[in-house]
Amino acid sequence: MPLILFLVISAIYLAVNAKVANAGRQVLSLERELAALERENAELVTRLAEETSPDRMMARAMALGFAPAAPDQVEYLVVDGYGGAPEFVAPLPSASAPEEGGLLSPAYTETLGDWLTRLLGGVEAAP
Amino acid sequence: MTPEQVVRRRIYHLLGLAGAVCLGLVIQLARVQFGPYAPVFEARSHYPLGQVVQISPARGLIYDRDGVLLAANAPRYYLEVELRQMDGNEQVLASVVSQLLDVPLEDVYGQLTMRGKSERMVRIRLTRPDEAAGRWPILVDQTIADVLNGFLADPDAPDLSGLALVPAPMRIYPSGTLAGHVLGFASQEGRGYFGVEGYYDAWLAGRSITYERGVIPPEASLEPNPPVGVNLVLTIDADIQQMVETGIREWIDDTGADSGQIIIMDPRNGEILAMAAWPELDPNHYSPWLEAEAAAPAQDNSGEATAPVSEQDARVISPAISAQYEPGSTFKVLVMAAALDAGVVTPDEVFIDTGQIEVGGHVIRNWDGDAWGPQTMVGCLQHSLNVCLAYVSSQKLGAGLLYDYLERFGIGRLTGIDLAGEIVGSLRTPRSPTWTESDLGTNAFGQGVSVTPIQLITAVGAVANGGVMVQPHVVRQVVGPQGVYSPGTTVLGRPISPETARTLTQMLAQSLAAETRFGNIAGYSMAGKTGTAQIPSEMGYDPTWTVASFVGWGPVSDPRFVVLVRLDRPETSPWGSVVAAPLFHDVVERLVVILEIPPDAVRAQLAAGG
Repeated sequence: MPLILFLVISAIYLAVNAKVANAGRQVLSLERELAALERENAELVTRLAEETSPDRMMARAMALGFAPAAPDQVEYLVVDGYGGAPEFVAPLPSASAPEEGGLLSPAYTETLGDWLTRLLGGVEAAP
Repeated sequence: MTPEQVVRRRIYHLLGLAGAVCLGLVIQLARVQFGPYAPVFEARSHYPLGQVVQISPARGLIYDRDGVLLAANAPRYYLEVELRQMDGNEQVLASVVSQLLDVPLEDVYGQLTMRGKSERMVRIRLTRPDEAAGRWPILVDQTIADVLNGFLADPDAPDLSGLALVPAPMRIYPSGTLAGHVLGFASQEGRGYFGVEGYYDAWLAGRSITYERGVIPPEASLEPNPPVGVNLVLTIDADIQQMVETGIREWIDDTGADSGQIIIMDPRNGEILAMAAWPELDPNHYSPWLEAEAAAPAQDNSGEATAPVSEQDARVISPAISAQYEPGSTFKVLVMAAALDAGVVTPDEVFIDTGQIEVGGHVIRNWDGDAWGPQTMVGCLQHSLNVCLAYVSSQKLGAGLLYDYLERFGIGRLTGIDLAGEIVGSLRTPRSPTWTESDLGTNAFGQGVSVTPIQLITAVGAVANGGVMVQPHVVRQVVGPQGVYSPGTTVLGRPISPETARTLTQMLAQSLAAETRFGNIAGYSMAGKTGTAQIPSEMGYDPTWTVASFVGWGPVSDPRFVVLVRLDRPETSPWGSVVAAPLFHDVVERLVVILEIPPDAVRAQLAAGG
């Protein structure tokens, strides 16, 4: 009977560790993927900004036959209820989550001993 | 020996062996725990098992007031080579890198085969020869990186074994030189210099953290986010900025001027709508300016550079806030404002101009050397008569009132604009040991006093804004993780009364309207003043070159902008009225359209509900 208990506990221990290792591998892989996507996003944002820079937009507009308006070419109308274009508000800085919020859930790092302690002691797992 | 005894003996042997192993472990345990090396093992147990890395947050982005991205971060890649992973492919790798990046083949090949110099060298970062720096690490953009990654992934492509692309975030300014003087630049190390990048460096950079990254799967965890830098929204309007940069570039070509600046400010709140300068500054290629910054000494507490960057450097890097000059006749606006506000002259008061006046032993003459006869104060401004203004300052105001007003206008003090590198200019007062009575006369027409363009536009902005002088600023919003902060308007003072401001504006509008060559903007009433200043040197004033300028604002009934134009050493004409005023005209003609300011008549009609 003790041998069976020992084997069962060993099997659980191995299974939990394998699960943790697997989760860790996924974390490492996701970290790499996240970094690559962030780089790609930054590159695309920069390229978009380059393509829409005032100089290029002006050149394109000129090529399409547009020209800057002179004051006497502009007609002004009053549109009731129109208060002008809304003020631009910049997006929040990226990765602005608080430091502690970015850590992995304890569920992924809990050891068998932690699990047993929590189970036997009736301690609630950390969120 | 019976089989049973053989089995039992083998079991005893195994038990004995296991016992010996256990005993060895116990002895080793005791040695580690209590032996002479116990402190060493104890210390080693605290070593980090993972890889200790420093994580720096992405530098904050910078936008114009309408959301045009002016400063971004994009990945660039260092080319590194793991020498031990190379498999006799040095020639192939060198050839690919050489052809893709235009680096001499023998140079790259030499770097790949130099491992003999040090057996401990296992990884190298490829560099390219650079005239200024000697050698410079090779950085490639995403397009080249994609090509190289494609080669690495394709077994049929050239063998690039050992090559690694190491990402490095790089500050990119997508609009190139646009607003370069306002932005400043950030170095590869992530430190900001000059302009907004320099002034808000700590805010933009965020804070780096050190983190132990688990390298074995069970210890892997999500990386913590370091406290990020803030995003900034500038008061600059990219369309206006682009318009004035184009204007000044073309105008400098036409006039042959050395350099020039245009600043456009909203006098009501101090927002800088555009700040252009020539020669242009490309923050994507900052290395020459970084050397200038390194050579410049620190500033003292007053903000005054103890030994400033050379005049040439200052003019090029941040001219609007650090290229001081004698303002010439544009300064008459402030002197007349002081005289009107002090009640010592009225607009209709007549002065008989005899063509010269002596102040403190110094004879002052008009710009043309002529005597203009009876002139009202409006005429004095319209014809920019030095003799008249010297009379006003020396015989009407006196030193006490004149310098009191000039100090109220902020002359000789920092404006406090949120750009790195502002200098204070120079104003000698009777308290200064070098002041002489003749300064009272020459200061009246902007000689013997030095200002920066931002100081002058701030002071003149007070006249445009009904006597209220506001602090100029270039940041409109600071967006951080905690929310959005919008700096409000900071009032620097009320140097003159609203009545004086109104009167002077009318006088200057009247004098401007009388000068048809300025080409008034049809339908819009403007106020302004030309300036032609001699350039001081160690040998006295330069006999040839001048600084031609113009400062004006409008619409007079409800000023929305103040524009300052400055051209250094124009070749086609030395006069501000000839080279600077037309540029003011061209800029304002476009400005009223971009700012959607209807002509005076239309505004009056709209105000009347028509």
